[in-house]
Amino acid sequence: MGPFTQTGQLTRLALRRDWWRLLLWGVSLVGLMMAVAAKFATIYGTPAEIAGITQALKTPAIVALFGPFRLGTHATTAQVFANEMLLFMALIQVVMSISLGIHATRHEEDTGITELLRAHAIGSLAPLQAAVIELTLINLSIGILDALGLSLAGLPGATWLGNWVIGLGLAASGWVFGMLALLSAQLADHATSATGLAYALFGLSYLVRMLTDVQAPRYTWLSPLGWVEKLAPYQQPRLLPLILFGGLGLLCLGSASVWAQCRDLGAGILTIRAGRATAARALRGPITLLWRQEYRVIMGWVLGITVLGAAYGAVFDTIGDILKTNPTMQQVFGTNALHAANHQLILTYSSTIALVLTAVASIPGLQLIFKLYHDDLSGWLDALYARPVSRQRLLLGYTGSAVTTSCLVFLGGWSGLVLVGNFSLTHAADGLTWSEFLTGVAGSVPVMALLLGLGALVVGAWPQGRLVVWGYLAYAFISQYLGNLLQLPHWAKSLGVFDWLPTVPDHAINWVTVSWELGLAISCGLIGLGSYVRRNLQSHGSQAFHLIFTI
Amino acid sequence: MTQPILQINHLQKRFGTFTALHDITFTVNAGEVFGFIGPNGAGKSTTIRTLLGVIRASGGSATIFGHDVWRDRVTIHQRLAYVPGDVTLWPNLTGGEIIDLLLRLNGVAHSARTDRLITRFALDPTKKARTYSKGNRQKVALIAAFSQPADFYIFDEPTAGLDPLNEKYFQEAVLALKQQGKAVLLSSHILSEVERMCDRIAIIRDDTIIETGTLADMRHLTRTQITITTQTPVDPAALPGIHEARVGHQVNEWQFAVEADQLPGVLAALARHQIVALTSTPPTLEDLFLHYYGKE
Ligand SMILES: Nc1ncnc2c1ncn2[C@@H]1O[C@H](COP(=O)(O)OP(=O)(O)OP(=O)(O)O)[C@@H](O)[C@H]1O
Ligand SMILES: [Mg+2]
Repeated sequence: MGPFTQTGQLTRLALRRDWWRLLLWGVSLVGLMMAVAAKFATIYGTPAEIAGITQALKTPAIVALFGPFRLGTHATTAQVFANEMLLFMALIQVVMSISLGIHATRHEEDTGITELLRAHAIGSLAPLQAAVIELTLINLSIGILDALGLSLAGLPGATWLGNWVIGLGLAASGWVFGMLALLSAQLADHATSATGLAYALFGLSYLVRMLTDVQAPRYTWLSPLGWVEKLAPYQQPRLLPLILFGGLGLLCLGSASVWAQCRDLGAGILTIRAGRATAARALRGPITLLWRQEYRVIMGWVLGITVLGAAYGAVFDTIGDILKTNPTMQQVFGTNALHAANHQLILTYSSTIALVLTAVASIPGLQLIFKLYHDDLSGWLDALYARPVSRQRLLLGYTGSAVTTSCLVFLGGWSGLVLVGNFSLTHAADGLTWSEFLTGVAGSVPVMALLLGLGALVVGAWPQGRLVVWGYLAYAFISQYLGNLLQLPHWAKSLGVFDWLPTVPDHAINWVTVSWELGLAISCGLIGLGSYVRRNLQSHGSQAFHLIFTI
Repeated sequence: MTQPILQINHLQKRFGTFTALHDITFTVNAGEVFGFIGPNGAGKSTTIRTLLGVIRASGGSATIFGHDVWRDRVTIHQRLAYVPGDVTLWPNLTGGEIIDLLLRLNGVAHSARTDRLITRFALDPTKKARTYSKGNRQKVALIAAFSQPADFYIFDEPTAGLDPLNEKYFQEAVLALKQQGKAVLLSSHILSEVERMCDRIAIIRDDTIIETGTLADMRHLTRTQITITTQTPVDPAALPGIHEARVGHQVNEWQFAVEADQLPGVLAALARHQIVALTSTPPTLEDLFLHYYGKE
């Protein structure tokens, strides 16, 4: 009758409950890895092709995004692949682990299911242990499939050991953040704050990784995400990162277990404080209600992304120094030309970051719009709809709040980048100008509007299609982010919404495109509104979707 | 004397600075249905959650089958069944699957008894839990609990949301448990249910147990309503222990409330005026409840 009694049964239940998520994550992650590997084999198969890209990979901007370039002149395809893809894949796997980990523990506890279970003869650590096994299984499976897939892809220069170091390294990095999420789930007082805590720690290790990569690679060992880069699978495969991952994971797991053993179910470290006795004057309708519930989450996003933007900005001085990568420039160029070149570097870098910020800022917006569906299913909206509140008002309110949120988050990150970046420059003239700042905003807002319009369309007409929107966002982002590296064909990139406007602010705004993008976004929203008003609530709405497209 | 199944001694629970349980003491014995009543927020569910070992007491002690509820929870839970008042289930599993799973967690298999209960409560076990109504979710938990062989059953407002017919089946099932010598702790706001089923009752108010005992014991603490008609005129208002005396509709008819311990004296005094008709209404649990809750 130990604390682990019935773990097996609960694990089976967890797999049963989550199999669809697990399958989807597994297939996407392994599929992406394989697709990129296959692509690399064709486009960087020869030394000449590799030599063509190495210069670009050494620029601080790419280093900040993908990790440092530490390969010699005779780099193999496999080495370049590992160097550029490992961190990126690890990031996605970490996001997976955090979301699965919180869902399996704190979310179950919030709904009251854990209490029902714990009244049975199950060990006090069994639910936690089941989540650990689930996370270990999914991460390990993905890792093994990655390794096998890489062997199959047969990248020139790949070794058997290297493939397995990549597979196990990715598995371990996902796993370690899964354990961190389980610890957060024990410390925080409900699922949302647990997610926030886990992402804050994840974000911190990303920032440390990025700043040290650009400025002092030796210190990258300080960040768990940096350990991924230190695997060096095809040059000098290191096992130390794996050991570090194991140690840190076990430490998190140990603390989580201790805390899980002695805390009250449903409570965290933070005790519940008494709140207001009467509503604030501002709390007077469904929209202010939404903000009252969500402002912590929104503030968390704005703050987190501002810090991220600032960190990206902190390396302006290193990035905007063409002499770092090209010392011969000094002789070729005059001082003025040099500053112009530096400015151009910063501009290109900022445009890439603007893309990242736009994609990331769309996430909280989409979540807010989709909340309309979740709130409806959970029955909360009944209380509102029983009052003189129209569906138009609610859908428009949620969508408007979403647009506002996304814009705030983007602005936070973008001003963080530009302010800190310009401040960090030795030559202020190299930095971004006001008009470039505004161009960045003007180019990103329509993209977010389109994504959120699509969200409103889906939530109104076909809420089951939420996953499609997430998938589209992921596709659009990845095709743009990795597009150049993978030399994707033009049509593949142009399917994604980020490709419709030239990148900003390194290009001028095309106001015609902006206008039709905004028009399209609004039309999507209106179609969504039209069917939301007509469809049955607390249903999946597919009937209404059908209706719209048959009329 | 056999050991009580549940023994709670001066149990306390604080959430931060807020005291949810101040002083809880009672015992539940084998073969007994114990009612646990009190106003909203008095601490019933908190007490039960402490007994389940999902939250930890801040003071005092509680044992089930002689084991500490926090330390030995897994051992205890092998012989314990619980039904919460608000049942959440896994949305993508069917009721039948959930029942089997909950049973397996106690190492028990789906039995003929389970099937009988499913038929009895008229549950469709093939539906996904997300499509169940509140009452049906409640039934899933009840069926799982009743078909689990346990020695101690805890129900926290189990019939909230059940229709009267299913409520009746619930009561029958609980009485059957009692006949088998099991112990039952039942927290409920449906006082007629508690009155009918419970051997002893504890009333909790403001995080403290204010009264424990049988219904008969408690009745002694309150007043009986009497309506009486006598042959010769009488003024009962002058007698000791009489309250709220009113003249009735008939000649020489009176209505009044009398304190339980003064009843013999009052009746003896009235008998001298030749009683023609007499009805006495003992206080219902509801009267007791209002009497206690309404204090101050
Ligand atoms: N985790 C918690 N943190 C702070 N206070 C709590 C917590 N859980 C319960 N309480 C408080 O403890 C008190 C007792 O709650 P409890 O749920 O036990 O009441 P109850 O008697 O079951 O009421 P009801 O009849 O409404 O079910 C309430 O005031 C409640 O607000
Ligand atoms: Mg309660």
